[in-house]
Amino acid sequence: MEKLYWQSIEDYKEQKFNSVLDKKDAIPEFSIEGLDESEVKGKSSRRDFLKLLGFSVSAVALVSSCQMPVRKAIPLLNQPEDLIPGVANYYASTFFDGSDYCSILVKTRESRPIKIEGNDMSPITKGGTNARVQASVLNLYDDSRLKEPTIGGNNSSWDDIDKEITERLTTLNQSGKKVVILTSTIISPSSKSLIEEFISTFPNVEWVTYDPVSFAAMRKANELNFGIAAIPSYSFDKAKVIAGFNADYLGTWLMPVAFSKQYSVTRKVTQDNPTMSRSYQFESNMSLTGANADYRTGIRPSEEASVLLNLYNEIAKSTGMSVYNAPTTDVDISKVAADLLTNKGNSLVVSGTNDLNIQLIVNAINNALGNYESTVDIGTPIYLRQGNDEAMANLVKEMNAGLVGGIIINNVNPVYDYSKSKDFTEGLKKVDTRISTADTMDETALECEFVCPDHNFLESWNDAEPVAGYYSITQPTIQPIFNTRQFQNSLLKWMGSSNDFETYMESTWKSILTDVTNFNQSWNKVKHDGIYRIENETAERPEFISQSLRAKKGNTEGIELVLYEKIGMGIGKYANNPWLQELPDPISTATWDNYLCVSPAYAKENNLKLEDVVSINGIEVPILVQPGQPIGTVAIARGYGRFAAGKAGNNVGVNAQQLVSDSVVEIKKVAGKTFPLALTQMHHDMEERPIVRETTLAEFIKNPASGNELHAYDEKHNVTLYNKIKYDGLHWGMSIDLSTCTGCGNCVIACQAENNVAVIGKEQVKNRRIMHWMRIDRYYSRDEANPEVFHMPVMCQHCDNAPCENVCPVAATNHSTEGLNQMAYNRCIGTRYCINNCPYKVRRFNWFEFTNNNNFDYNMNSDLGKMVLNPDVIVRQRGVVEKCSMCVQRIQEGKLTAKMENRELREGDIRMSCEQSCPTNAIQFGNLLNEDSIVNKETKNPRMYHLLEGLHTLPSTSYLTRVRNNEA
Amino acid sequence: MIINNIVRNNSLLIKGFFVSGFLSLFMLLSSFGYTQTTEDEKNFQVCKACHTIGGGKLVGPDLKGVSEKYDEAWLIEFIQNSQGMVQAGDERAVKVFNENNKIPMPPNALTDDQVKGVLLYIANGGKLDGGEDTTSIDTQDNEDVELQVAEETTQLIAEMKRDGKRNMSYVFIILIILFVISLFDLVVVKVVKAKWIHYIIMLTSVIIIGEIVFVEATSLGRQQYYQPDQPVWFSHKVHADQNQIDCKYCHFTADKSMHAGIPPVETCMNCHAQIKQGKKTGTKEIDKIYSAFENNEPIEWVKVYNLPDHVYFNHAQHVNVGKLDCAQCHGEVEKMDQIIQIPDLSMGWCIECHRTESVQFATNKFYEQYTKLHEKFKNGEMPNVTVQNIGGDECAKCHY
Repeated sequence: MEKLYWQSIEDYKEQKFNSVLDKKDAIPEFSIEGLDESEVKGKSSRRDFLKLLGFSVSAVALVSSCQMPVRKAIPLLNQPEDLIPGVANYYASTFFDGSDYCSILVKTRESRPIKIEGNDMSPITKGGTNARVQASVLNLYDDSRLKEPTIGGNNSSWDDIDKEITERLTTLNQSGKKVVILTSTIISPSSKSLIEEFISTFPNVEWVTYDPVSFAAMRKANELNFGIAAIPSYSFDKAKVIAGFNADYLGTWLMPVAFSKQYSVTRKVTQDNPTMSRSYQFESNMSLTGANADYRTGIRPSEEASVLLNLYNEIAKSTGMSVYNAPTTDVDISKVAADLLTNKGNSLVVSGTNDLNIQLIVNAINNALGNYESTVDIGTPIYLRQGNDEAMANLVKEMNAGLVGGIIINNVNPVYDYSKSKDFTEGLKKVDTRISTADTMDETALECEFVCPDHNFLESWNDAEPVAGYYSITQPTIQPIFNTRQFQNSLLKWMGSSNDFETYMESTWKSILTDVTNFNQSWNKVKHDGIYRIENETAERPEFISQSLRAKKGNTEGIELVLYEKIGMGIGKYANNPWLQELPDPISTATWDNYLCVSPAYAKENNLKLEDVVSINGIEVPILVQPGQPIGTVAIARGYGRFAAGKAGNNVGVNAQQLVSDSVVEIKKVAGKTFPLALTQMHHDMEERPIVRETTLAEFIKNPASGNELHAYDEKHNVTLYNKIKYDGLHWGMSIDLSTCTGCGNCVIACQAENNVAVIGKEQVKNRRIMHWMRIDRYYSRDEANPEVFHMPVMCQHCDNAPCENVCPVAATNHSTEGLNQMAYNRCIGTRYCINNCPYKVRRFNWFEFTNNNNFDYNMNSDLGKMVLNPDVIVRQRGVVEKCSMCVQRIQEGKLTAKMENRELREGDIRMSCEQSCPTNAIQFGNLLNEDSIVNKETKNPRMYHLLEGLHTLPSTSYLTRVRNNEA
Repeated sequence: MIINNIVRNNSLLIKGFFVSGFLSLFMLLSSFGYTQTTEDEKNFQVCKACHTIGGGKLVGPDLKGVSEKYDEAWLIEFIQNSQGMVQAGDERAVKVFNENNKIPMPPNALTDDQVKGVLLYIANGGKLDGGEDTTSIDTQDNEDVELQVAEETTQLIAEMKRDGKRNMSYVFIILIILFVISLFDLVVVKVVKAKWIHYIIMLTSVIIIGEIVFVEATSLGRQQYYQPDQPVWFSHKVHADQNQIDCKYCHFTADKSMHAGIPPVETCMNCHAQIKQGKKTGTKEIDKIYSAFENNEPIEWVKVYNLPDHVYFNHAQHVNVGKLDCAQCHGEVEKMDQIIQIPDLSMGWCIECHRTESVQFATNKFYEQYTKLHEKFKNGEMPNVTVQNIGGDECAKCHY
């Protein structure tokens, strides 16, 4: 039987029961708010006509009588040598926000960062980024950033605040009362040594590291097993079988960018090398990793330990290890056990649960499989997530007991995100000297007397060692915009040092760059490359010390709550970033909210549907029926419900941090109450056409064109009256490998940042007006209890027979000799015929003016926020249609560079914004006429197909069928 | 009010006639000026801002016989980076520096061979081998001719400006009155019996009114012959013509960037640290540079050539790749005191050039990838490959 794909529960029911059970709501295709009834109905009278006529005449009169504005050209007073106005500079830097690490390049124009790209030289992230990294440049231009240091909420000066704080610290030091520095994980060697120096100046100071999402259990387990309290580094690229347990390693777990890069290597199938890894995922919510797994099993969180222990026993039996008593479980692990055993030494088991027993079992399994010699490297630890749960709990206790005299809080927001935030807040109030170095007035900073705002990371000097021996550098790419000061400089000042952190860092690096002949030269190279690596001599791998394993039997009754992180919002640090708020979640496609994910079975049982409101432990949340949500569980995202984030992020969603994870909860329906959610998947419905094409590895080996039989048929049957366009020299094309694409959404934000795409807010998203030039479609197949998920990035296909071009009455959209479907905004009159005629639904209409409009109070409504705009790309006005231009500004720039260097264009000279930073290299761009280009080769790939190719639109963008490594 | 403003400029046709005539005159005139036939001569343009060959001391010393005074290796190093040598304490360098009022010579990004070429050029007395003298101070005759030409050009510009401001509002009003009268007569008074007369008058006036409105409406927002007052009375004539400073000495990014580059005050100070008085304005205008420099306040020049936001224009593409002369778009700037916008910067004006101007098809290797065109070019089928031939008239070349 042909596989059916569906996009929503309603779709599914329609297909399954072949009847329309829930009639879909009528779609508000045309609704202009604020018009009266007669206008909406389209009735206009003679008087309306006269009014309009009068208006247009006076408008013309007004326009023509206006003087042209006098425009100024203001040169620099002193021209820095490497700054050429109009030419972008790139600086290597590092993104680290306390939890995520990424090596980046910062694109600056006229000395202001406007875009972040991946750093290809990094051996860890290999040029990839994720949505949060891409969006972080907007945080620099956030209106909610603090502009001055404050004392007790009033603006102050650095001199006053320093004087006061130094006095207090000295008094506290003399009295011997404890002062705590509470920070996020710090991976900077210089900052670490600085804090240690600070502690030696003030011996009463203690340093506590806190992570909202903690990995303490994993570090503890490794301490017990190996004697090293560390997180090992993983090689997903070496693993042939991967079993994940509640570890969303492609989305949010530990180092998603690095892991995605590694994972994608094993998912790239070619005819020459028809092998790929097989991934199993056992999880309690529908994560991005689960969506991409070959086999996904839904489990209750309380069940995880027993499932893992059963898996261990199964493996131990074959490898001759000791077997432990394990409670029975319904989950079938025989298949994954067999697969793991056949790939001993080339497999990998990971768990994202912060539970010592679970982490011990995972270690034991990896040990039994011999993975410590290949895929897990305990000798090269990852230094992320060093948060110490015990120390944090102890701090809260001591604060409440009045034992802490002072606290310096850097880069963490425990009042918002600590699981016992009430206790923390109570305790914090009992501390006399409360200093925050937050860059915005966040929930924790509000509780602090002194706020010494930190620089944004794009204004700072810093270094990082995310993995032992792998260094990278953060360097300022803009002068500090406000009167802020880097945290490290504050510490130096309070210590009484006259050094600044840049000098301090250089001196630290003198001890890192030991075996170089010329320090300055090497230091400059480090700053240029952004990375540095010290090849460690492979240390003797510590002996594995077995620990006894145990697991409790999982619950079978009750509903268990799972807290998860969304790929955009994470733990809520970027709540005020409108780009991330409007990024559709890759699984639910929801924007601007969190919600309670319930399983379709539970929804049916309790008569719940999308947007109904339930009360969970006293908190009211809307419902989203999530296919694949395991029975007996509900899930809600962290990172929402902040009240001191800023204008875009305040009171978006509900704060779920205080709902303790893995606990059985009571859910009550709030009768009659609904809450609107803005979901995007159904916006651009392509109905039941053969859009999604897939095959399995076994089928692929038999027939590389399997799953793509329709392509040959369409190629043969397409006839046309038009002449085929003949290109000379250049024909741009794109190729998207659906096998490696994970649907992470990095490209959506990368495109938004590059092309000045407007943020339109929840209301308008709900009206189906989202402006993203690139969207990620999500399809489900098979049953709703545990569906297969399919992601597909869709942007303008740049058709050679473009249906949009034929219908434009003013020729505002037409075809170029380089194969681009061009869009001239200044010619567009907004008939929207092209939108109607585009089969891919990739054209967007500017229903409103999104700049300088208080109804859309996002980054394009403030002078500061507008600094992020790309000066090479125009900001579109109301009433025009826009769409993917295939980054034509980048194409033109690449061509110009080649011309100035008097050479031909080379493959890789021009890279699209979405392509450059793709963490799985799923998107490729190039010249289709160049025989050696990847896009040209992919057109001959038997997996290649065009979207809706039966229409004979001849797109320049091609897709490669998805290959899954499972049974059909 | 409407009429006055709609009829601000005259018909485009007449403007176009003048512009094309003016441009061709420029092309004719520009053959009088220096020709950048060799690289050495071109490179020396930068030097010429402060040095003469046998013409006495300007900002820097006279360069006549410089190769005999110093050895070549020293000269090469000094020309490439004089300040480096001064700071390193080179005896002769310090001496030269002190002799010239401690005005630093900016470093020159020239290769050793290029410097040798410039030295040879100086040794030849500012002549190319077999060429005519181009740098020595002009004789009285030459000056007179030049003055005459300059005056003619200024007159021409003034004429064009006057012409540009010719008021069509009278014609417009008269035509409207005619139209109303004939309508009135046709319907109410009926003095003239022959109705065809009414019709002809009305039709003709409607056509002419329509033409005026159309032409004026298209030129709305355009600023041809725009000549704003600048914060500093800076004369391009004095700098580019009398002192023969190369355009790219000040507009230093024209061949690198989309912007031609407005020079920073620092660049002015390269020469004006020494030159404190102008012939025409005395110290008044030059003092403004010093005060900007001292107060750390950049000079806010008024931008003359403005393109709408929805147009992307890149100087490097035209100057560096297309090898266009600045004057091709900006007119004979060296004859203007204050800059005036010569073209109307309409899309028609852009496209016109893209249709006729040929690209550097023979020399730039980039164009080799257009295999079919290259074939035709080599066969002689297409001796001129224009910008249009490679897609230069498409929307997304300038609008994105």
